[in-house]
Amino acid sequence: MRGQVSRKTIFAFVGPAVIGLAAVGIAPLIYAVWTSLHFYNLTKLKKVKFIGFENYSTVLTDEVFWQAMGRTFFLLVTALPLQIILGMSIALVLHQPGLTLIKTLCRLSLVLPMATTYAVVGLLGQVMFNQKFGVMNQLLGGADINWIGDPENAFAMIVFWDVWQWTPFVALVLLAGLTMVPGEVEEAARLETKSKWTVLRYVQMPFLLPGLVAVLILRTADTLKLFDMVFTLTRGGPGSSTEFISLMIQRVGFRGFDQGLASAQAIILLIITIILAQIYIRVFYKEV
Amino acid sequence: MTAPRSLWSQIVLLVVIITVCVFPFYWMVTTSLKTQIVALEAPPVWLFEPTLNNYREALFEDGVLRTLINSLVVAISTTLLALILGVPAAFALARFEFRGKKDLWFWFITNRMVSPIVLALPFFLIARNLGLLDKHITLILIYLTFNLPIVIWIVTDQFRGIPYDLDEAARLEGASQFTIMRKICLPLAMPGVAVSAIFSFIFSWNELMFGLILTRTEAKTAPAMAVSFMEGYSLPYGKIMATSTLIVIPVLIFALLASKQLVRGLTMGAVK
Amino acid sequence: MKMLRNLLCSAALASLTATGAMADGHGWSLKKAAAPYAGTTVDVVFLLRPGYEAIEAMLPAFEEETGININIIKHPYENALGEQVRDFVAGGDLDIALIDLVWIGNFAENDWILPLADVQAKYPDAVDPKLDMDDFFPLVLNAFGGWNDTVYGLPFDNYSGLMFYNRCMLEEAGFDGPPATWQELKDVYGPALTKNGKYAFALQSKRNETQSADSFARVLWPFGGSFLDANFKSNLNSAESQAGLKFRQDLMQYMPDGIVAFDHAETVNGFSQGDIAIITEWSAFYSSVVSPDTSKVADCVEIAPEPMGPAGRKPALGGFSLAVASQADEAEQAAAYLFIQWATSKANAREYLERGGVPARQSVYEGDDLEAFKFVPALVESWQDGVPEFRPRFAEWPEITEIVQEWGTKMMLGDVTTEEGATEIGTRMESVLEEAGYYSGEKPLAQ
Repeated sequence: MRGQVSRKTIFAFVGPAVIGLAAVGIAPLIYAVWTSLHFYNLTKLKKVKFIGFENYSTVLTDEVFWQAMGRTFFLLVTALPLQIILGMSIALVLHQPGLTLIKTLCRLSLVLPMATTYAVVGLLGQVMFNQKFGVMNQLLGGADINWIGDPENAFAMIVFWDVWQWTPFVALVLLAGLTMVPGEVEEAARLETKSKWTVLRYVQMPFLLPGLVAVLILRTADTLKLFDMVFTLTRGGPGSSTEFISLMIQRVGFRGFDQGLASAQAIILLIITIILAQIYIRVFYKEV
Repeated sequence: MTAPRSLWSQIVLLVVIITVCVFPFYWMVTTSLKTQIVALEAPPVWLFEPTLNNYREALFEDGVLRTLINSLVVAISTTLLALILGVPAAFALARFEFRGKKDLWFWFITNRMVSPIVLALPFFLIARNLGLLDKHITLILIYLTFNLPIVIWIVTDQFRGIPYDLDEAARLEGASQFTIMRKICLPLAMPGVAVSAIFSFIFSWNELMFGLILTRTEAKTAPAMAVSFMEGYSLPYGKIMATSTLIVIPVLIFALLASKQLVRGLTMGAVK
Repeated sequence: MKMLRNLLCSAALASLTATGAMADGHGWSLKKAAAPYAGTTVDVVFLLRPGYEAIEAMLPAFEEETGININIIKHPYENALGEQVRDFVAGGDLDIALIDLVWIGNFAENDWILPLADVQAKYPDAVDPKLDMDDFFPLVLNAFGGWNDTVYGLPFDNYSGLMFYNRCMLEEAGFDGPPATWQELKDVYGPALTKNGKYAFALQSKRNETQSADSFARVLWPFGGSFLDANFKSNLNSAESQAGLKFRQDLMQYMPDGIVAFDHAETVNGFSQGDIAIITEWSAFYSSVVSPDTSKVADCVEIAPEPMGPAGRKPALGGFSLAVASQADEAEQAAAYLFIQWATSKANAREYLERGGVPARQSVYEGDDLEAFKFVPALVESWQDGVPEFRPRFAEWPEITEIVQEWGTKMMLGDVTTEEGATEIGTRMESVLEEAGYYSGEKPLAQ
């Protein structure tokens, strides 16, 4: 039967990748678990000692940790709907026939934001959103908005850049879905109803669903991972207003040097990530 | 039949989209050509006498050139390594039946989701114990955590699309699976391999956090360098934007080259 | 005979150290002392600040004289501690530690740095007979370079908090001089100078060391407050500490919006652009605000000591010393010592000053040709009357400063009251100190 091969062959093919990924992906995690069970401060390595689950209980009862977690999900539920609405609109515009040249140009421009180095997005943000010599306030007609120094504005600025960078992604994913709709089906539907909404809801939506699911999964994961752009733009400030979960763990581990506590935070974040991934993948992905 | 008015509104909309996407890059490049005094004009000026001074200073006085080379070395090496390890695994996932295949698949996709900070903490301590801090090899290895899943995902997808009939003859002649992969399937899967390589390169090139934590001088990457300009007692906006431009140009070129496959790559094959 | 030789030597040194090599084979010379270590490379972290640029400009002379290469790794301040800690725990390449005064307890207790006396005993030939330790300002040497009565580092990049004011703006508003007290700054200068998009004052308060050192501690001490009481318990809820913290909240109305996002760069920039009339900043930024290349108000800049509070002047104290790293090998240690000794020497102090550095040598400020350096009188005054524990210098500071930064900014943003914030900091700070063993008597109460 096709596909049946010896264990040896399977191992020869899969083994190197599994061993490679285990070495860089799993070994550190085991080490992190070990660290998380210890008092392990980089500047007090003479005092490393086993403390059981103390770090975990500290994290679980630390409101600062859960605030950062809450903030991270708040960013997700603020930015993602915007990205989907805008992305859907862009996809629908691009899907209409005609204007080939300018649409090709538009598709190419959409590629640029998502390929941009995240750290550079943050630096660009600093330059463009500066209250005095930033171009953003100038474009807003000489507004005097303090983007970086005000908690709400800083959060809005992060949302702006997240939307700028990832709306194109959503748009292109949905556009790919729209092009999967067989031409005859779509035309027949358009003859039957004038409502674009009806066409979208009943004819196009089934083809868009896999893409939307992928967007949901990946944007959730990427928001939990979000670090580079915020680190270069606000460093989590002002105060804690843009301190998302990855930034917070980095701060505890490499500025407070409490690697034990930070490891416990990281393990808890990992567990949350895996649970979310499990749910998403088991529910939505049915490949393989 | 499209009425002229709606045609015009479509054009306007498209132009707006293009402008929003491109404007930050325009601003980045123009700022990089400003002197510090011009860059700090309030409100900002749009017309000025451009200078390449920022690039000269960044590249040759502040050592950005070297960090760009570091980034290049690391990104290319880790991409090659991910391909060498990942392509056979992808072949097996696409073509062999074995127990635990689904779990393996799940494990790979989970790796794509794990926040790098989870790995950065312990990896730092391990690298420290092994004397591997500030070495290219350290970044090359840790970047596998996101490159390997990408390669495996995209290439598996590509291999699945190749019909079995093609290599039936070879198999009857007793060719090994390895030969079949290399001689028959790989050439056909080349587009997928190329796309995964481009992705791997882009993600490695763009990475900041590991670069920040695991390198210091010898292996410092370009994004880590750009960040370190940000906190002097003066904010050299022109120079920061010059460095940013140098970092971003290569990835934008790569991304445009792969623009057709970009969506497939970013969704790990979920959307074709 | 011996005495005579010594006398001759010092005479010769006096005339020759400035020009470098000594022809005399018997006396000490940098060239001779460095001869065994020529070709050694010394790694050191430098900041992106004027004092470091000054010494970098002077470096070719040292390298030529000694054959020692100084490999400078530049970092912004906010990364410098992390970089060095990571290097030291990894047994990395750094041969010299750059120590902010609040890091010294930490570095010393980890044995990452060597006591100066040990280094001198190990490499006696490297010791310049004209080192003259007594010439350093005692407060500065003790605070920046010393821990538990042991000197580790020599003061290199030295700061005191100073009041920088824009004379032109003040005159325009009818003031002959700067405010003498914090109260006056708030009640009189604040309303008069805050208008038309200009601000009377800016207190850099970004959530990093700037928040703790430049903002939080700055309002604590002049009002009689402090971080800790005599038993090392939190003193932040005391009436004096609270008065200071509340004063800061009141003063914010005369500062630019978003002051919690202001770091040194933004503050110095705002002052240099003529948008802010008065700032309290480190002496290190003097060369930047008086240079026409970086400042629009260069001609208007005047310097005064920081304003007084009910408890006196108590200006901010900060600065960096250089110490030999224990992880360096022998040649590197000796070469590192030679560099530190040279960079902080009496003989080089004047040139360092002229190039934009701020030496901690008393002798250099005794001359009468100092008109170009307007900050000198205020600086010297501060260094005679500073608080060494302005920020506690013990090993726990890196953890505690994170706590202060977080809740200090929350206070300023109005997320918590000064009492609530002080209680949060207090509880968390005490738990760090408890863990460290201060309350069980395991550790002496030294800060």
